[in-house]
Amino acid sequence: MSEDNPSGGDGRHHMDSLLMRESLLDKDLVAQSGENIDVVRMLPDARVVKVGGRSIIDQGRKALFPVADALGEALAERQLIIGTGGGARSRHVFSIGLDLALPTGVLAQLAIADALGNAHILGTLLAPHGVVAIPPEIFGHLLPFFVRGAPGVIFNGDPPYQIWEHPPPVGRIPPHRTDAGSYLTAECFGCKTFTLIKDVDGLYTSDPRTNSGAELIKEISVGEIQKRGIESLPFDEVLLELLPKARLVDRFQIVNGLKPELIIPALDGEHVGTIVHA
Amino acid sequence: MSHSMNGDVLTDLGRILVDGSLTDPNVKQQTAGPVAEILPEANVIKIGGQSMIDRGRSAVFPIMDEIVQNLEHHQMILGTGAGTRARHAYSVALDLGLPTGVMGVLGTFVSMQNARMLHYLLAKHGIPFIEPIQFPQLPLYLVERKAVIFFGMPPYTFWQQNPDIGRIPPHRTDTGSYLVSEVFGARSMIYVKDEDGLYTADPKKDKNAKFIPKITVDELEEMDLQDVVVERAVLRLMKNAQNRRSIRIINGLKPGNLTRALAGEDVGTLITAD
Repeated sequence: MSEDNPSGGDGRHHMDSLLMRESLLDKDLVAQSGENIDVVRMLPDARVVKVGGRSIIDQGRKALFPVADALGEALAERQLIIGTGGGARSRHVFSIGLDLALPTGVLAQLAIADALGNAHILGTLLAPHGVVAIPPEIFGHLLPFFVRGAPGVIFNGDPPYQIWEHPPPVGRIPPHRTDAGSYLTAECFGCKTFTLIKDVDGLYTSDPRTNSGAELIKEISVGEIQKRGIESLPFDEVLLELLPKARLVDRFQIVNGLKPELIIPALDGEHVGTIVHA
Repeated sequence: MSHSMNGDVLTDLGRILVDGSLTDPNVKQQTAGPVAEILPEANVIKIGGQSMIDRGRSAVFPIMDEIVQNLEHHQMILGTGAGTRARHAYSVALDLGLPTGVMGVLGTFVSMQNARMLHYLLAKHGIPFIEPIQFPQLPLYLVERKAVIFFGMPPYTFWQQNPDIGRIPPHRTDTGSYLVSEVFGARSMIYVKDEDGLYTADPKKDKNAKFIPKITVDELEEMDLQDVVVERAVLRLMKNAQNRRSIRIINGLKPGNLTRALAGEDVGTLITAD
């Protein structure tokens, strides 16, 4: 830094820096703002994995015990950051909140409690491995510390948007849910892989529950999903907006948690489900 | 055993959401409908960082006086911008290659400093500074004291999204303040800056810039301006807004403008979603 530049000649006090006296809204300035600089990876060895709420945790011991066992085994040699979904209880609180005419931001705030409950449920099962649910208030700032001190951490997958959630184009369901929050964690911390554990083999051409002719797609780009107009997505739709803006994590894999032997290969980046990339 | 919720305790909407896919357009359509105005009397006012607070007493004292004069008549939720120190922190962070989420944390600290300073200036009027965790007390403070101060950054911290290009956080204090006005169904969203409103170019740099008194978001996007007076994310969010479908930008360096804007007079630039 050189010396302060108190006047700048326009009545405003400036400090001498790259962005001094500039509008941060100017297109040219935005284009120059670090587009060509490599972004620091804070946790390059950690893997982020999101365990589905409705698809896995709500199914009880039948689905969750084998998933917890696979995660426990993975933790012996890997740093895991495990997000949880809110599942049926989030869907229920949305339905009541909507009926009471509450806005999107309030629904987003309410849903955090359900995912946090599920984080504590999974945290109880993984406690023997030294992995517990971390309160959202301290999770982000202390994450690098936690993953060094313990084999992994569990958090509610929600991003902390709360009443600052964005209203969606249609309806009032919060668009940034636990898949999106878990993804943004992986992207900001520059993690090795991002995996979604669900109860289907991956993305299908249409909903496999209602259409027996639905075909599994092994790998697909965001652009191709949009071009083909695939509507039934086993992940938060907003990921289609976030992935193309990725700097560090530009893909994720959906893996079937009902086939728990696939979980460790997926965490290690092997192609065992559907890979969606920017 | 599956622990889905039993059909007979669910409303129709509950059944649709618990069983259906949240990416299904038909399901999403079912979640549309009228939404409550939670704080319909409150005005959200964002005090610019670089444009107002960084000028020091010459700009800040008069606008604080004008806020105090309006306490009798209007409820005000006051958000603060970040400004010069955020630009400095961003430029260091860019040079170091730090992620956008970390830059979001740094910007939050600066807008918090600004909120604290304004808070101490207004403290003798009983006006509190509230952090996001204290927002449940906001309605009480509005009724009792008529105003509160918060930091304008949305509390996304590490979960700040990347911008389309570059690495500067796209959701900053204009956006955080706007989303407060939208979620609460506030009476108005007023941006207090150091220009009369929106111009066809940056009036600080282009003498031929023309003032725009009123414009829609679509018209503004069509003009594809090099520079705009509010964060572009606000314009995108306004299109999906359920409550707050207009924003106003005023020049806080001209005494009386805030009072006029609070009274609903046509001052500055009005940007509307429709």
